Amino acid sequence: MLDIRGLTVSLPAGAERELAVTNASLTVAPGEMVCLVGESGSGKSVIAQAVMGLLPTTLRASGGHILLEGEDVLAASEARLRELRCTRMSMIFQEPMTALNPVLRCGEQIDEVLATHTSLSPSERHARIVNIVRNVQLTDPERMIASYPHQLSGGQRQRIMIAMALVLNPRLLIADEPTTALDVTTQAQILALIKTLQREHSTGVLFITHDFGVVAEIADRVAVLRRGEVVEFGPARELLAHPQHDYARMLIAAVPSLTPRHRAVSTAARTVVATKGLAKTYSRSGWWRRRGPDVPAAVDVSLEIRRGETLGIVGESGSGKSTVARCIARLIEPTAGQITLDGVDIATLGASALRPLRRRVQIVFQDPYRSLNPRRTVGEAIIEGPMNYGASREEALAAARRLLELVRLDPGSIDRYPHQFSGGQRQRVCIARALAIEPDLLIADEAVSALDVSVQAQVLELLDEIRGRLDLAMLFITHDLRVAAQVCDRVAVMQHGRIVEAGPIAEVYANPKHEYTRALFAAAPGRRWSF
Amino acid sequence: MVFGVVILALVGAMALSAPWLTSFDPAAINPGFRNKTSGAVEMVRADDGTRAEVRHWMGTDSLGRDIGARVIYGARASLVVGVSVAVLAVAIGLAIGLAAGYLRWLDGIVMRVMDGLMAIPAILLAIALVSLSSAGLVAVIVAIVVPEVPRVVRLVRSVVLSVREEPYVEAAISVGTPTLPLLLRHVLPNTLPPLIVQATYICAFAILIEAILSFLGVGIPPEIPTWGNIMAEGRTLFRVYPHNVFYPGIFLALTVLAVNLLGDGMHDTLDPRMRKRI
Repeated sequence: MLDIRGLTVSLPAGAERELAVTNASLTVAPGEMVCLVGESGSGKSVIAQAVMGLLPTTLRASGGHILLEGEDVLAASEARLRELRCTRMSMIFQEPMTALNPVLRCGEQIDEVLATHTSLSPSERHARIVNIVRNVQLTDPERMIASYPHQLSGGQRQRIMIAMALVLNPRLLIADEPTTALDVTTQAQILALIKTLQREHSTGVLFITHDFGVVAEIADRVAVLRRGEVVEFGPARELLAHPQHDYARMLIAAVPSLTPRHRAVSTAARTVVATKGLAKTYSRSGWWRRRGPDVPAAVDVSLEIRRGETLGIVGESGSGKSTVARCIARLIEPTAGQITLDGVDIATLGASALRPLRRRVQIVFQDPYRSLNPRRTVGEAIIEGPMNYGASREEALAAARRLLELVRLDPGSIDRYPHQFSGGQRQRVCIARALAIEPDLLIADEAVSALDVSVQAQVLELLDEIRGRLDLAMLFITHDLRVAAQVCDRVAVMQHGRIVEAGPIAEVYANPKHEYTRALFAAAPGRRWSF
Repeated sequence: MVFGVVILALVGAMALSAPWLTSFDPAAINPGFRNKTSGAVEMVRADDGTRAEVRHWMGTDSLGRDIGARVIYGARASLVVGVSVAVLAVAIGLAIGLAAGYLRWLDGIVMRVMDGLMAIPAILLAIALVSLSSAGLVAVIVAIVVPEVPRVVRLVRSVVLSVREEPYVEAAISVGTPTLPLLLRHVLPNTLPPLIVQATYICAFAILIEAILSFLGVGIPPEIPTWGNIMAEGRTLFRVYPHNVFYPGIFLALTVLAVNLLGDGMHDTLDPRMRKRI
């Protein structure tokens, strides 16, 4: 039904490579789910945009054909493309909040599709809308139709997007990372929904993702994309089990396993940090009146981390895991409870009393692009801490070079600016910066979540190696059960600001006791597939 | 940017070397030779009885003063006002804005004061400030700086509020950087790009405000020529003798353009991300 033949898209002059997509060929049959997998910058989204006729003006399809039921989309006029969109092909996007217009009610946005492409009367259109909204398994369709996007949850918004895309029963649905921005339990529901609707309507789906768990969950066939080239295209089971191309093999090998790695941990080691009854409540009081109810971000969190061990905190967005990390790093002040760092309670210490203790706890953040000041070289970033604590510039620079070597970067790159590094390299710089003042506790707050899977594997390995070599305690915050399985010794599961379950990782993974932990495991994509 | 620097350098040099560029006294009134168009030739009899021809390249105004000389000397006052207002407003605004944006307890108080200042029309406030003291260059500069400061404060504060949430600022806090170096090292440099654009705008605006104040008679006294008061002067006879407004206008437009080009250029060179692409 969709037949992409030798598609070539050129990038503007001066880009890092000449072609965004090189001679890509793949097909989608009716009722088939084809997954397009690749790392960031591999050209996945460009292919989707080319099919929809939505390529940015700077990109130009310079060769090949995209046949949608025999009609070449690349040759179609803008008017014809408008006719095709929604009726024959539809697209859903990664971020449903930005894909929906915030000032229109959800129903009005679906209605726009119907009004443009059909000659139905308003009452018929309303009936269609209610019907499709019920179809995407939203309860209380009338209320959903009358809501604005911001009043719905992320999962509900994505369902509205799907309803909008499918209301005219298109033959082809392009899903561009539709679940990446969602929590794992919501993701499982949306994946199931797409799968069901696809079967019912025998829609062909081109599903773009970077997550092999998702691929294992839903794909019939898989295309692996590398730097704009389709390196391997074949049936999902076969490709996942026996990848032929080196790159596909490397990608699949880099997917972390859900089975925890076993490691002997000494329970006699000294406790570095312990919290007791830690709580953080965001109060929304204004100058004159309250602006809303208080938001408890963390409630009664008690945990302890020993030297040489990694404690994982897993949970979905809004579960309070980052709040706990930021309290322990004292970037925010907890509202109650104690944080004991080597016998001193740092929960309520003032700024000046805290300064000598700050160097004991360091944190690495999620976003490698925002974690480094764009106006300072990486050398300056790394030596800032040591110089704050009295090191001379020469000493600090020499130490920084050694640290760059430790995180496997070229020490000669010390005078370069962050934008000259890739995401994974920047994250290594951040790790070097955190290590520069020799902390006892390293907090990794979703430190590998923004990285591609192959880079992620390398950074995880690096973190583990450093923890072992420097005998650090590590607090590892993540939403990804697979990642946690690879680095953590013990794990705490958080929901709504509370720790609902904690214990050695092998025990928790083998035999989850709390209902929520079980739900998390049930929702983990590709859990039946062992990578 | 090169063009901007060259123009500004030329205008600056012109202002500095004014006495050598023209033989006319910009304030000398010549009732017998008023409202002459560009290139008018006047016969002057010197004390010893010899006659000489002098040419008024840009003509004369309604009091017979040489416009060329006035424009050249006027560059002094206009440049001084523009540059010093921009520098002072940005410096004061930056300091207040950084403090207000970073120290949350100060924010409410400072911003309410700034809102109060902004509620008063800028020109009115300037007139009030000038009339409190004697009219003069310093009074005019102060009068233009005061209403500009809240605008800078608002801009700086909004940038600080977003920069302070950046992970690299938090990382700097956690490696123990004290507040003042933190502000200077990590927050301040990131507020500069929008500020430079704002500063060039203020500079141009200050030259215009000065002209308005002069026109209203509360600015720099008319015996000191500025581009503003030359134009204000010529405004009444604009339809008959447009050169009176035209020449200072050209200089004003060129200078403002040059300042803006310079600002854009600095914006790009200060950003290491832009440097790579060149």
